[in-house]
Amino acid sequence: MSPGLHTQPAVVNAASALLAEMKDASSSLTYAALLTDDGFDVARLPGQTDGARFAGMASSMQALGDAVAHELKIGNSEYIIIASGKGYVVQLRVPGQELVLSGLFDNDATVGNALAISRSFAQKMAELLK
Amino acid sequence: MAEHVILFTGPMGAGKTTAVQSLSEIEVVRTEANNSERHIADKATTTVALDYGEILIDGEEKVRLYGIPGQKRFDFMWAILKKRAKGMILLVNSDAPDPIGQMLSFIDDFRELYDRGGVVVGVSRADVVAGPTLGDFSDALERTNPGLVIPVFTVDPRDRDQMEDVLLALIANIEMRAMFGLTTAGAL
Amino acid sequence: MTVNANQLAAEPASVSMGFPVTVGWTQAAMAVYSVLRLNTPVNLKMLIEMHGALLIDFRHHAFSWSTPLEQFPVDAVHTRLETEPTSADAPPYFELPGHDLDGLLWEMGINSFGGAAAYWLPPDERYKLTRWPNLTRHTHNLRQMKMMAVLGNTYASTAELAALAGVEEPEAQRLINALSLMRILSRSSVAPAAAVATETAAAKRQSLFGRLRKRLGR
Repeated sequence: MSPGLHTQPAVVNAASALLAEMKDASSSLTYAALLTDDGFDVARLPGQTDGARFAGMASSMQALGDAVAHELKIGNSEYIIIASGKGYVVQLRVPGQELVLSGLFDNDATVGNALAISRSFAQKMAELLK
Repeated sequence: MAEHVILFTGPMGAGKTTAVQSLSEIEVVRTEANNSERHIADKATTTVALDYGEILIDGEEKVRLYGIPGQKRFDFMWAILKKRAKGMILLVNSDAPDPIGQMLSFIDDFRELYDRGGVVVGVSRADVVAGPTLGDFSDALERTNPGLVIPVFTVDPRDRDQMEDVLLALIANIEMRAMFGLTTAGAL
Repeated sequence: MTVNANQLAAEPASVSMGFPVTVGWTQAAMAVYSVLRLNTPVNLKMLIEMHGALLIDFRHHAFSWSTPLEQFPVDAVHTRLETEPTSADAPPYFELPGHDLDGLLWEMGINSFGGAAAYWLPPDERYKLTRWPNLTRHTHNLRQMKMMAVLGNTYASTAELAALAGVEEPEAQRLINALSLMRILSRSSVAPAAAVATETAAAKRQSLFGRLRKRLGR
């Protein structure tokens, strides 16, 4: 088994660059991170969030989403949205990788926009790592 | 439906997920991800949110079994799961580098479960390696927590009979402690 | 004059305890208790009819026996019991690790004294566990587990223990004897009786322990 993606400099650099691009593409993105399935922080946008803690929480959320989908027999959990008064957290898996992209968007974005951006950048990340 | 929540705690690799599976009557809900840290623990996967299993006592009562993720970076899950639990089974692995230190650390982190109900410690793989003796574990508990009499058993988390013993010992302890007014919770 | 090398390298004198043939474990338990209490380095050998010799190495807290504890013969016929002095640096009595002596002490204690107090236990005392035995390794029943849950948390006399755990006094006494032989029992003549916070009968009725053990078929 290869060492964790969060320890591979090439991956970390690519991830950081991608998140910066994502921020440019979406003014309502206030925080974003790429994390491993088992909760390690690969890269994140600067912010006040404890990146390590957030990575752990996002991985738990992703796994719980999968567990719920499995329990209800509805296939895989494709994305998870947490909606609150001040914004949305959208997270989804990077296709083909053990990585999750999670972004926090403020209310200037609609959920649909946030989702579209997230999907597009998750796909880009997948391509970078192929 | 009356519910009793029992937590399975302990470091990564001690056998929490296995223990829940041994006891559960339902297929265990698991939240495993591939382990990025094979150099630290030689396991393919690790729990990232929780394990969930059940024992249905009758139509009106069940025991809910929750396994925590063992690594400290998931301690927000510990906080969530702690709240609902009556007591805990703390599993440590005899061939880990410092199983006694790990045990003491989890007793500390989950002290309120001792206060509220009770704790039983299970030491896994004790037959496989010449690690600390059960006496060493008990001594350490007494040294750091004088007055605590916490059962320490060797256990194979895959063995259903042994896990039942551990669970029954925990429940017996919780009920007796409540009966003597030693816990902060009411009777089960 | 030839010297017999064997005579020169004589075995240390072993001491038979003038042991009459006995049935059951009471005498053996008394002998073992004495050794444990005195804490002088000795080895102990018991000859038991229809079983291999039972060897105890107290220094290493181990025993060696061809009979597994799951088949512990409650009415064993002991024909001989001898101690042999040893020293801190002498080799072990048998090839280690052997079996953990606690397992044997448990069985011996439970099956000695016929439900009466072990001879070394004075009357009017209360008892409390200093640590639990390793239950996954000892054949036990759930009444014993319940009793240990009492003793782990409060001082109780035999009578009080029996009442709190809902068992007959002789059964409670057997457990006390075993725990005492295993040296994990604290004894007190001044500790007060347990303060029962909830009404005992109601607690028994509502016991999750009872319902769970029934559900698990135990």
